[in-house]
Amino acid sequence: MQGKKTFVFICLAVLMIVAQTSFAQAKVTITVYGDEGQNLTPVEWLKPLAAEKGITLETVGVPFTSVYEKLKTEFVGGTGAYDVVIFYPDYLGEFAEFGYLQPLDGLFSVHDPNMADVVPAYRDLYTMYNGKTYALPYDGDILNLYYVKDIFTNAAEKAAFKAKFGQELAVPRTWDDLSKVAQFFTRKKGDKLAGKVLDQDYYGFAFLGARGFAYAWWANIFGSLGGAWFDRNMKPQINSAAGVNALKIQKSLMAFCPPDVMSMGYQELMNAYLQGRVATMIQWSDVWKKANDPKLSKIVHNAGISQVPGVKQADGSIYFRAAAPVGRIIGIPTTTKHPKEAFWVASMLSNDESIKAVTSNDTGEDPYRISHMNNIKAFEKFGTAAEAKNYLDTVKDNLNHVFPDVNIPGSAEYLDALDVAVTSALSGSGDPAAALNTAAASWDKITQSLDVNRQKKIYNSMLEMWKKHGFWKD
Amino acid sequence: MAGSAGLITLETSQKRFARLMALPGMIVLILLVVGPLVYMFANSFMLKTLATPLPPRFAWFKNYGDLFTDGRFWNAFLNSMIIMVVGIPVQSVLALIIALLLNKKFPGSKIVVALFLIPVMITPVVAGFEWKIILDNRFGPLNFVLSFFGVAPLAWLAKPALAMASILIMDTWQWTPFVTIVLLAGLAAIPKQVYEASSVDGSTARETLWRVTMPLLRPMFTLVVLLRIIFIFKIFDPVQILTGGGPGISTETLGLLTYIIGFKNFNVGMSATIAVVQLIIITVIAKLFITLVMNRREGKQ
Repeated sequence: MQGKKTFVFICLAVLMIVAQTSFAQAKVTITVYGDEGQNLTPVEWLKPLAAEKGITLETVGVPFTSVYEKLKTEFVGGTGAYDVVIFYPDYLGEFAEFGYLQPLDGLFSVHDPNMADVVPAYRDLYTMYNGKTYALPYDGDILNLYYVKDIFTNAAEKAAFKAKFGQELAVPRTWDDLSKVAQFFTRKKGDKLAGKVLDQDYYGFAFLGARGFAYAWWANIFGSLGGAWFDRNMKPQINSAAGVNALKIQKSLMAFCPPDVMSMGYQELMNAYLQGRVATMIQWSDVWKKANDPKLSKIVHNAGISQVPGVKQADGSIYFRAAAPVGRIIGIPTTTKHPKEAFWVASMLSNDESIKAVTSNDTGEDPYRISHMNNIKAFEKFGTAAEAKNYLDTVKDNLNHVFPDVNIPGSAEYLDALDVAVTSALSGSGDPAAALNTAAASWDKITQSLDVNRQKKIYNSMLEMWKKHGFWKD
Repeated sequence: MAGSAGLITLETSQKRFARLMALPGMIVLILLVVGPLVYMFANSFMLKTLATPLPPRFAWFKNYGDLFTDGRFWNAFLNSMIIMVVGIPVQSVLALIIALLLNKKFPGSKIVVALFLIPVMITPVVAGFEWKIILDNRFGPLNFVLSFFGVAPLAWLAKPALAMASILIMDTWQWTPFVTIVLLAGLAAIPKQVYEASSVDGSTARETLWRVTMPLLRPMFTLVVLLRIIFIFKIFDPVQILTGGGPGISTETLGLLTYIIGFKNFNVGMSATIAVVQLIIITVIAKLFITLVMNRREGKQ
């Protein structure tokens, strides 16, 4: 009898060991989907570690602006080609609502993604849907205001600014201030800037004007003017007074931008700043790291970063909102045959390996975890401890004041219509109010063509999350 | 009588055999052309989007109504027409001049003709990237060359009018050689005796060009213009790479709009509607053009 018990015990122990180690010893291939180039580099870095776990990692890269269309095609086709998908939060509502992605809460036991460590506003607004986690953060994309430091501290420039505007020259905190600063620093070739003769025209400001994500630079202003995408009944609010004023402000700033601003994408805008052609600009967080790389930049240790300007309120406070276009997150499709292995990969990328990714110039990933924000040492390779701290504090401030993209079903179509309106009005081919009215009419049509009640329900749940973070008042 | 019946049987069997031989081709045609065309027409009457898994709804002519009241569609239509109305005449005149020059035999003329084909052989996507570099307002060679003539750097891709001009320049660069080669083939086919007769009659070079060369080149012109009309209405990749339809929608063409609505917004019903309308427009323009040319030709004859 004793021998029989011992035999059963040994069998159970062997079974438990086998069960525990089966995941580690499994030989599976996990295909990771994302936008090609620098943003898939962390997946390449993870390959040796994954191999030790018996996981072969393969990547499928698509162009930056085609992430939605290629992924949606796969989801509609239900091919199950991808196990891990890196995409933009704009599409989270659509993908989660229609069952393309699986909720991840039940997989947290596979490998803890440490979600408590993620900046709260970013976590709640960009990785959760209907109270469940559908994605893990991968890239804390947020827009920031950049400026060239030494021209703001130059005594002659400060005196000239005070003489012209009757106020101290300072890093702009409001859109009004930005307008003055941009106007002040716009100079012609041969003029002097901070005591040096300019060998090319110099501009006070720049933004991203190329089609695709240009709407987000307008959304910074729109958000800070109190704008929201829809009201509670799904009536578009983009053509409200806040929307029209935002577009007018942006258009007025164009007078101080380089002539090619409307064809500037990510790279062109960054180069304008790194090559010392503009005094200020608004861009994603990774630019500060690149600005301090002598191989890429002429403004090493001279790149300042600040909160995206806001709007002064009656009580003297400033209402800030920073748009967060792109901002990659990682999901697991419902069609994957290896959800545990896929989650392990997602969790490693989102948590364990993330500090390496956000502190490298070989990737485009930006900080999004509290542990990133507190790890000043890791960012000191780009600047002094004080510069690194200022960078991280600013990114955190902007993330805590995020103005999230509309991320309900149909968001790609909504945002395309808005992008067309914004870029048309800015490029001179449309009046701001008329352009936004056209976009609002398109938004109405899009909502009607989808299930209106479901759209309303989803958007209202998004607003509740905004409310929780103080971004919405009924 | 019996012989006649046998002949009929033979004829019938030959017809059957011919039909049988044509059958595989017909099946392929039905599967690859007629089937998708019918499916496209059917979709154009449906409210059908892949953004949500809602079932498609039959909507009669709603998509057509929405399309014809959409300013973005008319903008894309106008842009396609601008490329057609400006591009084709410019390319035709340039191509004729070049073809006449290349028709004169000179040392290395065959190499020049071969080199001339390069732009046509380049993938449109690559051409788009090349021109993006050429037109760069700071480092682009075009602005560098223009600076010698005192022209300040132009932001080619950032201003609506210049962006459209850029599309036209790129299209002309890529397609003029194609038109040239077709016209060159037409010139080579004109018998020398015709020119000799014209010379004997005392015609000047200009008279020979207008009264001999041009009328004999008309079939080639007809062919090449028709092809260019079709190509221009389908133009997509170089525009997508060069301007993405921007700034705003200033360079958005019908081909690009169809792609955006179908493959970015996944509005299958509306993209099918644009495709149907585009097909009708191309057919009408082509028919009008052929009728015009043929009437003139018959009138001249």
